[in-house]
Amino acid sequence: MELLTAIAIGVLFAIGVFQLLRRNIIRSAIGLIILANAVNLFLLSTGAYVSIEPAYVSDTTDILSDALPQALILTAIVISMGGTAFVLSMLYIISARYKTSDMDEVDGLKN
Amino acid sequence: MSESAIVLPLIIILTGALIAALCGLPWLNRRLNVTQLSWLLALAPLSSFCILVSFLDDLQANLVFSWKGAWLPSIGLNMGLYFDSLSALFGLLITLIGILVIIYAGQYFKGDRSAWRFLTYMLLFMGAMLGLVMAGDVLTLFISWEATSIISFLLVAYKYKDETARRGAFKALFITGGGGIALLIGLLFVSQVCGSTSFTTILASGDILRDSTLYPVILGLVALGGFTKSAQFPAHIWLPDAMSAPTPASAYLHSATMVKAGIYLMARLNPVLGQTEIWFWLLTLVGMATMLTGAYLGLKQNDLKALLAYSTISQLGILMMMIGQDIEIAFKALIIGILAHALYKSALFMVAGIVDHETGTRDLRRLGGLRRSMPYTFGVGAIAALSMAGLPPLFGFLAKETLLATAFHPSLPNVVAWIFTLASIVTGALMFTLAVMLLWDTFMGEPRDPAVRGHEAPKTMVLAPAIPAVFSLILGQLPGPKDEAALLANAARAAHGFKVKISLALWTGLNAPLFLSALAISLGVVLFIYREQVWQLQARLAPRRTLNSFYDGLLAAIDTSASWATRLQRGKLRTYVVIILAATVMLFIGFRGLSLKLDLSAMKWPSLSFSGEMAILRIFALFLIVGASLASIVVGSDFTSILALGASGFGIAGLMVLEPAPDLALVQIVVDILAMVILVLALARLPRLQRLKAQDVTFRQRPASLVRDALIAVVSGAAVMLITLVALLSRSRESFVTPFYQANAKTVLGSKSIVGAIIVDYRGLDTLIEIGVFSMAGLGIYTLLRYAACKFGDTGSQLDELPPPSPYPFSTLGIGGLKTSSFIRVLAYVALPVAMIIGVTDIMYGHDQPGDGFTAGVIISLAVGFWYVVFGYDETRSRLSWLKASPLMATGILLAILTGITAAFVQGGFFSNVDFGHMLGLPLPKGFHLSTSFLFELAICLSVLGSVTHMLNTLGHPGEKDTESTRCLKEIEELEKQERM
Repeated sequence: MELLTAIAIGVLFAIGVFQLLRRNIIRSAIGLIILANAVNLFLLSTGAYVSIEPAYVSDTTDILSDALPQALILTAIVISMGGTAFVLSMLYIISARYKTSDMDEVDGLKN
Repeated sequence: MSESAIVLPLIIILTGALIAALCGLPWLNRRLNVTQLSWLLALAPLSSFCILVSFLDDLQANLVFSWKGAWLPSIGLNMGLYFDSLSALFGLLITLIGILVIIYAGQYFKGDRSAWRFLTYMLLFMGAMLGLVMAGDVLTLFISWEATSIISFLLVAYKYKDETARRGAFKALFITGGGGIALLIGLLFVSQVCGSTSFTTILASGDILRDSTLYPVILGLVALGGFTKSAQFPAHIWLPDAMSAPTPASAYLHSATMVKAGIYLMARLNPVLGQTEIWFWLLTLVGMATMLTGAYLGLKQNDLKALLAYSTISQLGILMMMIGQDIEIAFKALIIGILAHALYKSALFMVAGIVDHETGTRDLRRLGGLRRSMPYTFGVGAIAALSMAGLPPLFGFLAKETLLATAFHPSLPNVVAWIFTLASIVTGALMFTLAVMLLWDTFMGEPRDPAVRGHEAPKTMVLAPAIPAVFSLILGQLPGPKDEAALLANAARAAHGFKVKISLALWTGLNAPLFLSALAISLGVVLFIYREQVWQLQARLAPRRTLNSFYDGLLAAIDTSASWATRLQRGKLRTYVVIILAATVMLFIGFRGLSLKLDLSAMKWPSLSFSGEMAILRIFALFLIVGASLASIVVGSDFTSILALGASGFGIAGLMVLEPAPDLALVQIVVDILAMVILVLALARLPRLQRLKAQDVTFRQRPASLVRDALIAVVSGAAVMLITLVALLSRSRESFVTPFYQANAKTVLGSKSIVGAIIVDYRGLDTLIEIGVFSMAGLGIYTLLRYAACKFGDTGSQLDELPPPSPYPFSTLGIGGLKTSSFIRVLAYVALPVAMIIGVTDIMYGHDQPGDGFTAGVIISLAVGFWYVVFGYDETRSRLSWLKASPLMATGILLAILTGITAAFVQGGFFSNVDFGHMLGLPLPKGFHLSTSFLFELAICLSVLGSVTHMLNTLGHPGEKDTESTRCLKEIEELEKQERM
């Protein structure tokens, strides 16, 4: 399972990077979200246990799933959502400033 | 005196600096003029001087005082002081000359209201310099060392409107600062080899240091620091340029104190680094080169201060050379040389300052005949200059005698002895010529320029140089200056490492040094008489390319390479991304990637059974995630791509369900949808034509660059895959915190959901910051789109520009003004209240069930987003006018902080759990607790709702300039206009 997960995360990351490098500004934003997904998936898979009991206090003696990475991901999801929205608005500003959504036409960052 | 009293001088002087800085305040500045201030400030070095003197008795017994203060003890950083006779000698010189220079500066800057700045720098420098010579720890030494460089920069550039002053300051900082970095590395090596940063240990581990394989490196680095600071050849070029500092600073920093820092360092470390072949050759050769260069170049200077600067360089070379020798007399010469030079050179600088001040020029070709109009200055200058010339009965004579005695010492190798002696005689002669030239051309003869007229300076101004001058006169005359001799002997012993005998008797009989001295003086007289011819000869011999032109070339080369480096910055965003990613991948490969060791045996192949890990479902989820993401690349339309992304997010939620992590899955689903809504809104806001064009060019690029992008993606993906694999295989298979939470969450926090407990309790502060960040994102988007975008002339979807018929079916989706079906409208109406009920339930019971404040906030926002999609901007805003983003956000964050504080008061811990309902005995529904957790969840929900509302309001806005932002922009423009005027 670890191998498959690792491959999936790697492929996801590669897809994210490739999307990030597109000329189309919306695709770059999509690439960012995919990258965030890859990272969240990575965090999720680092949980210590693979179990069938959710992390709730109960009478069961089964091992619960690892709560710490879950709490971290919860934070990460929300933050990456906020970040993505912010980046989107920045991309929007860029396209408003240069009157184009084609990244290759955005070359005024110099000077 | 207790040991810790050695901190006092530093504190006193830095307090003085503070007082001087306070005189920059207008009301104090009006009441206290510079002269009064300087008298007041002189008390600081005076009292420090007295404190240092009080230590002398104990130092007679060759005691060492040390003091240690913890700075960052956790990483082994300490401030330390170490005070022995060598430090005392330097410390006394620093404070003594400090008193005089401060008083002198008070006269020099008379009537200048801004001179408090100068005095502040001077006192700061004095503190740094004292710290340097009393440093007991290599880090203290280094910090003081750099502080002196930086304050020297400020002082040289004191007249910062003058370009040459700025250049000179930069040059000094560039050279001494560069040396400082070398010194730091060297000192770190030293402390690594010795196992301690304290000088007490380092000074006792000479054998370890000399035997270490790092010895040549250490020596090179430390020497580089010392040589640059003490203006040794070829780094001496900064000192003449530093003469653009005001003369009091030159007298203090660039003759008596700062340039001696390198000498101090080398002398301090001589017992542990010295006494080796390489040390001898390095210091002797560099010192000799410096000594000859300085004296030779000094001869052709016309500027009083430049001449003094070159003679200082020469003297520093002599001192450096002395440290390199391994014989007793050399250290006698060193210590006497330091003392003699500090005394006569500071006096001469101050005299030069007086001449400049009273006549308005320092040019030797214009001065002359001032002995009549400035008799006192002449007297003082004469004593000091004759001491520099090395004539009896002045102290400088003794310094030169011991130098010659060293040169003539039989223990030196034959060839070296010859060169050494010869060089010493030549330097002696040149120094004599310089001194006489200085004196003669300024004070004797007739004025060469009749316009130059002098008159005597105020008494106090002449008194300042008179004191060191008189010292050079009487030090050799005192009948039995035993105490002084003992101090000097101890200082020499600290530098040499062995006992040194010092007597201050001038007359030692008819011996070889006396004969050589006479030879040098006669040669000097000859040089002085034929100086016109010498100058012509020098002019003819002058090399076309000097060290200064080399330095300028170096600076130009740095500029060129910088502009080459920035040529990489093409201004294209995509290029930057490529470079950043490529560099990251290279770093990974270079540092860690190749040494990754995969323990493949720990890997489990997926078992294709439905039991246990539910592998088949996981594999399915993974396929969904990867497949949907892949689809988001391939599909042509942006909108479809966003949908594919959404599907991929659902796959992740599925994986979370399998984990099982129900809270996460819930958040992931709602956030995923929200992200899609926001993406679609942003997409809809882009001008249609622009959007379609961008969609067309998604893959339109040269095949080569497409391959390059794919390659970068694949390599970074592979790198991430490797990292993940290693991380997953080597991760701990046992959680230490989960059992703890399992045992405590319910009993302590009254929460069944462990993840929820972590969010609002265990990591409550983290969550507070997180909602802060999220709110900032909302506010940031609001600000960016509302004002910045309007400023760039964003008019949103350009309505007058008719779009071409689109081949894509989902291009507007109702938000662009398209009519939506009535079913959807009813659904939207119902969705909002339902979402609110779900949200409130989430918050109320979230501590026992899946769901929390985030989910609640996002679910309600989703319903609002649905409204935007269905009704469009105008209708939504008018119907939901009660949904005010900023107040919601502010209420949320304030409520969170208040909850935390209340809990702190009630329970004694920020964000600790308090169940108010239980406390007050309120009749509440079963399972619901009116606790801090509930309030915090509510706060989270409110702030998330507020922030998302901001995002939706701005991104959902069709883009025309709304009246409010137009008005604001106009106001901003007018403000800017006013500022410009």
